[in-house]
Amino acid sequence: MDLIEIKDVSYSYDDSKKAVDKVSFSVKQGDYVTVIGHNGSGKSTLAKMIAGLLPVKEGSITIDGLEVNEENIAKIRQRLGIVFQNPDNQFIGSTVKDDIAFGLENKRVPSKDMEGIIREYAEKVGLTPFLTYEPQNLSGGQKQRVAIAGILAMAPDIIIFDEATSMLDPKGKKEIKQLMYDLAAGDDITILSITHDIEEVLQSDRCVVLNKGKLFMYDEPEKIFAHADKLREIDLDVPFIEQVREAFGKYKIRLKSDDLKGMVEELCRSGSKS
Amino acid sequence: MPIRFKKLSYIYNKDMPYAHKALDEIDLEIKEGVITAIIGETGSGKSTLVEHLNALLLPSEGSLEVLDYNIVANQKQRFLKPLRKDVGLVFQFSEYQLFEETVIKDVAFGPLNFGFTPEEALKRAAEALKKVGIREEDFNRSPLELSGGQKRRVAIAGILSCDPKIIVLDEPTAGLDPQGAREMIDLFVELNKKEGKTVIIVSHDNEMVYNYCDETIVLSHGKIMYNGPTFDLFADKEKLKEFNMLEPQIVSFRNDLCEKGFRLSRDARTLKQIAKEVAEQVKR
Repeated sequence: MDLIEIKDVSYSYDDSKKAVDKVSFSVKQGDYVTVIGHNGSGKSTLAKMIAGLLPVKEGSITIDGLEVNEENIAKIRQRLGIVFQNPDNQFIGSTVKDDIAFGLENKRVPSKDMEGIIREYAEKVGLTPFLTYEPQNLSGGQKQRVAIAGILAMAPDIIIFDEATSMLDPKGKKEIKQLMYDLAAGDDITILSITHDIEEVLQSDRCVVLNKGKLFMYDEPEKIFAHADKLREIDLDVPFIEQVREAFGKYKIRLKSDDLKGMVEELCRSGSKS
Repeated sequence: MPIRFKKLSYIYNKDMPYAHKALDEIDLEIKEGVITAIIGETGSGKSTLVEHLNALLLPSEGSLEVLDYNIVANQKQRFLKPLRKDVGLVFQFSEYQLFEETVIKDVAFGPLNFGFTPEEALKRAAEALKKVGIREEDFNRSPLELSGGQKRRVAIAGILSCDPKIIVLDEPTAGLDPQGAREMIDLFVELNKKEGKTVIIVSHDNEMVYNYCDETIVLSHGKIMYNGPTFDLFADKEKLKEFNMLEPQIVSFRNDLCEKGFRLSRDARTLKQIAKEVAEQVKR
């Protein structure tokens, strides 16, 4: 059995329209799965159901065999953390240290153990010099790292990133993406990342494409982007490299490389041949 | 008439131990009637710079000419209200600044304050909301019920309803999905092309800057590093490196092709046009 199993799940906020419509897929332990789709495609609704923030009224979601419902929610929350979009809306402590400690306090970790745990995870996300800083003196990327450290300190199995980099500047984006890739590189933590960043999707193991609440595709990123036309149909961006392939395809020039440098080489060769 | 900064400096917490010079003797001209991007790393002074344009911040030293207004350091300012009508500023994450009970009231707030009658203010608000693509059935909803992208449109309508000559937007596409960002940019291009508004956009999105902005200003540590055509900036690899700028993929691709001896015209900025020109040279 896979770590996360989603079966025939639907959800509607009001009766008129389904925000999530009979979605089924499963995620293996240790996988890094990205979720893409338009605003309103059901990405966040689905993530909130997995995290038990919205009730599963139709279908079922299980995490490690445990059904996500009111009865199990406390157990499930111990194993799962979410990093939200806005770095300013998820700070609880008055310093970085207090913020990381918040989850541990709720878990009733003895205070003598706390210091060590906080240091360990602050180190892991590169926040050691900032432990006594107040939130307003941190950059957006640093704030997101505090949120991630707070979650890691709870030793979760699953971390959900809900557009965690979209409000950051390019430097912050790069930092947080790198941290996500590092976490994903291990086998322990399963990552579900809702994103609009096509470059991030290319780094993930698998990608879920949602469209109008329905599962549109679920596959390895390369296979998904091989169907550029299908993604276009639902108005999603395709990676730049596929755009180049398409643009030259119109002139009957078939480029085969998987990177831009290779494509430039190909063009040079065909140029000198004729 | 262009906007002119003359030896303008701005110091936060002046005469205090924490004094910080955010803008450092800036001399700058921003062209009228075009779309200008202001880029630079976080903390380089971008927001401080644009907040001078409608005198939210007053220069600590030097002066600034905007339209017919001349703002000089340490002089009493008499014309703030008309200036703020003529220069509309949309803040970062402007969706958080909505406060009225309904969408239409929120947008009418500006014109009411600038002395229009309630009827006229509502009429202007309705026009502005249509321009940004908010449907009439949403006019009387609470702005808090709208999605993030829609809220931001309402905030922009709040500025447009005052009919400014210059529109300044601080990171208008941050946090929007790609489609939402594209629609937002299309709106600015339309305001510029159809209505001749001067549009100034603070952005971190180099790809958007390259594709849509005529002119670009690069700021670093409160100083102007570059002010000129966007195209020339991105065509100059040395400069991109010096300014620590990420090259949009389309730019890397174009530059690589040029290096390999393909001849691309200045018009070949989009992938479509690049492919066309390269294809002609390959087939010859």
